[in-house]
Amino acid sequence: MPNPEQTVVFRRAVVALNGGSSDARIVRLAAGVARQWKAELVAVHVVEIDWTQPLDADIAGRSEDVQRVLDLAEETAEDCQYKIEPVLLQARDVGAALVDEATEQRADMLILGLPYRKRFGGDFAIGSTIPYVLKNAPCAVWVVREPIPEESA
Amino acid sequence: MIGGRRPLKGRKLADRRVRIERPHAAYFRWSGPGQLTAKESASRPTTPLGRLWARVKAAVIGRPLASEDEIGERLSKKKALAIFSSDAISSSAYATEEILRVLILGGAAALVLGLQVSIAIAVLLIAVAISYRQVCLAYPTGGGSYSVSKRNFGRGASLVAASALLIDYVMTVAVSTSSAVEQITSAVPALIDERVLIGVAAIALITIGNLRGIREAGNIFAVPTYLFLGSALLMIGIGVYRIVILGEHGAYDPNQLIRQTGETAEGVGLLLLVRAFAAGAVALTGTEAIATGVPAFKPPEARNAATTLAIMAALLGTLFIGITFVAVNFGITHLELPEQQTVISQVARRTYGDGTIPFFLFQSFTAVLLFLAANTSFNAFPRLLAILAKDGFMPRQFALRGDRLAFSYGIIVLATVAAGLVILFRGETHLLIPLYAVGVFIDFTISQAGMIRHWLRERTPGWRRRLTINTFGCVLTAIVAVVVTTAKAPQSLLVLLLIPCLVGLMRFIHRQYDAQAEELRVRDDTVIAGPHREQRVVVPINGINRAVVQALNFARTVSGDVRAVFVTDDEAEGEELRARWERQFPGLPLVIVESPYRAVVSPVVAYLDVLDQAWPPDKEAPITIVVLPEYVARHWWDRVLYNQTARRMKAALVGREHTVIADVPYRRSH
Repeated sequence: MPNPEQTVVFRRAVVALNGGSSDARIVRLAAGVARQWKAELVAVHVVEIDWTQPLDADIAGRSEDVQRVLDLAEETAEDCQYKIEPVLLQARDVGAALVDEATEQRADMLILGLPYRKRFGGDFAIGSTIPYVLKNAPCAVWVVREPIPEESA
Repeated sequence: MIGGRRPLKGRKLADRRVRIERPHAAYFRWSGPGQLTAKESASRPTTPLGRLWARVKAAVIGRPLASEDEIGERLSKKKALAIFSSDAISSSAYATEEILRVLILGGAAALVLGLQVSIAIAVLLIAVAISYRQVCLAYPTGGGSYSVSKRNFGRGASLVAASALLIDYVMTVAVSTSSAVEQITSAVPALIDERVLIGVAAIALITIGNLRGIREAGNIFAVPTYLFLGSALLMIGIGVYRIVILGEHGAYDPNQLIRQTGETAEGVGLLLLVRAFAAGAVALTGTEAIATGVPAFKPPEARNAATTLAIMAALLGTLFIGITFVAVNFGITHLELPEQQTVISQVARRTYGDGTIPFFLFQSFTAVLLFLAANTSFNAFPRLLAILAKDGFMPRQFALRGDRLAFSYGIIVLATVAAGLVILFRGETHLLIPLYAVGVFIDFTISQAGMIRHWLRERTPGWRRRLTINTFGCVLTAIVAVVVTTAKAPQSLLVLLLIPCLVGLMRFIHRQYDAQAEELRVRDDTVIAGPHREQRVVVPINGINRAVVQALNFARTVSGDVRAVFVTDDEAEGEELRARWERQFPGLPLVIVESPYRAVVSPVVAYLDVLDQAWPPDKEAPITIVVLPEYVARHWWDRVLYNQTARRMKAALVGREHTVIADVPYRRSH
């Protein structure tokens, strides 16, 4: 049994996915840690719906690309011999939806990825979701920053 | 709210969110644009009977494995040695005896030549092993001699090689099982009447082990192989120590006998030596199995297969020469009286001590290994069939992997044919032996000849040395093939007869597949236009009911030319139906066929013939869609009550030109 003082501990974690390159990394990381504590993992992907459309418009359900985000997460978790429960949401604001979902799921950890964007010379654009989650999440938040590619470092 | 999705409240009023259903997720996964991958749940049977069968299968052979698990099913060198070498290694248990049985005909002094003969066979083994190592590296897709001869000689020779191998793999299973059963019945004579049953049960057990997948088969079968190897090497070590260091020898020492009697070993005829050589050469059977199953190895497949083959040949050579050396020096030959004793059991008795635990352990390891010799064929035979099936020479099902990624059809066919032989020959090894090891030397010869051609064509660095080895091996294996066939004649001629039969069968299958492919071929440079043939629908009915209404509604969506056909032997019934029909289906043609001979199906078929004949000959024949209303039974046991006429109708119409049969099932809503 690992020492709880030295490792990240959670019983139920929400893993926020954005369909980017960091998704597989955070799922693998979450699965690796969750295995030690037999914790439950919930993969959440939020599709932002602008105000021109109704919130329950048939958008995410019809999109292969959106479905694939969660399918890939499930597959990555299976490769790590772990189970992840996928949840697909439509919301006006991604950060608020993640916080509310984590609250409803009674998660004690919310894991997010911070991808490295290569455009415009390479950057970590923290955006508005991470600050919102850091400020409002009722549970611990773990932001996993992607490593800077060697050629950019 | 659209589609019944209820918005979930958030911390603030504007923070509502909607959970989206993912109905595909239970069965599929999007793996690429427009590409779904089925999950295990999508492959689960849907009927209760199917589910029960799946549970039984899972209990016996294990849960199904996904294709992507194939790499995990690959064999390490350690397991592969046990899986693919049990046949070759087990032959060290009887090859020495085969030599001594022939040499004894030349007198006791001739036994001293046993060691020389075994060394000569070991040299042949080296040549064959080097050749097959080269085959592993040059033809990593597997198939062994079949692939070599296909590339270097063409279809004819490759099919001969494949046929010879297939026959020999079947014989290996039958012979090794019968021989192992004989070991058991020798120990427990009370079981002699049950030998066929024991043999068939052993084949069934090995079959189940192999259906569980190659990796698991490796786990099951590796232990006995290594136990035999360890105890046999220890036995040889003790024997050599006693002979060389302690100077022990047998009750009679052949060398001493020669000195005392003036009899010379040189007096032994060349023919006897050649026959002894051919008899001992059975030790080589199974050497080719690794080259056949290269893709079963972990990457790098070819390199690992070649290394395993070299280890196997070294072990086999050591065991064979070692056992012969100890047997000859201890003056051991087979005994029939007072009780039957094999050479290897006497060697074990002499080295481990009579009645000791190591002796009995060694005997039991030997018996188990003889059973497992069959296992090599269970790995090589299905793989060869799969390669032949991929090339279109065997039914395509043989190339399909079963639930556990094993070539299940090939395994089952091998088990069935081998068990059939055990039953047919009443489990008596001596009746099966004449058919054994005939094909494999033909196969060795073709393979070596193929490699000669390979080196002459490729001329890669070192080709001259390799060419010499293969030429030497080819000549020797050709001689052994002739001697083995002659020595085992006339029964061995049956194999020579079977080979062309199998070749003919494979050519026939290939021609059928070729003809079908040609028939179905679509030119890839044409744009496929939409349908242009006219369609008409015929709906055979048994009255007016919900199933018929549903079928007619479907028929009307397919074509404007719809007619219902009602066959009856009761004129009044027909008139009554017509009156109701015109009221309920105005404008829809109904044809009532009176059938005074009470037939139902034939008049419908005859009516379709009449429709065809009535079609204008200058127009392209239309597609006739026969729509059959069917009532779906609620239970498996009440299926027999319904749809019998529809079933007969389908049977009568299947294969009919320009005709499509469509079932429209009617299910009760509750």
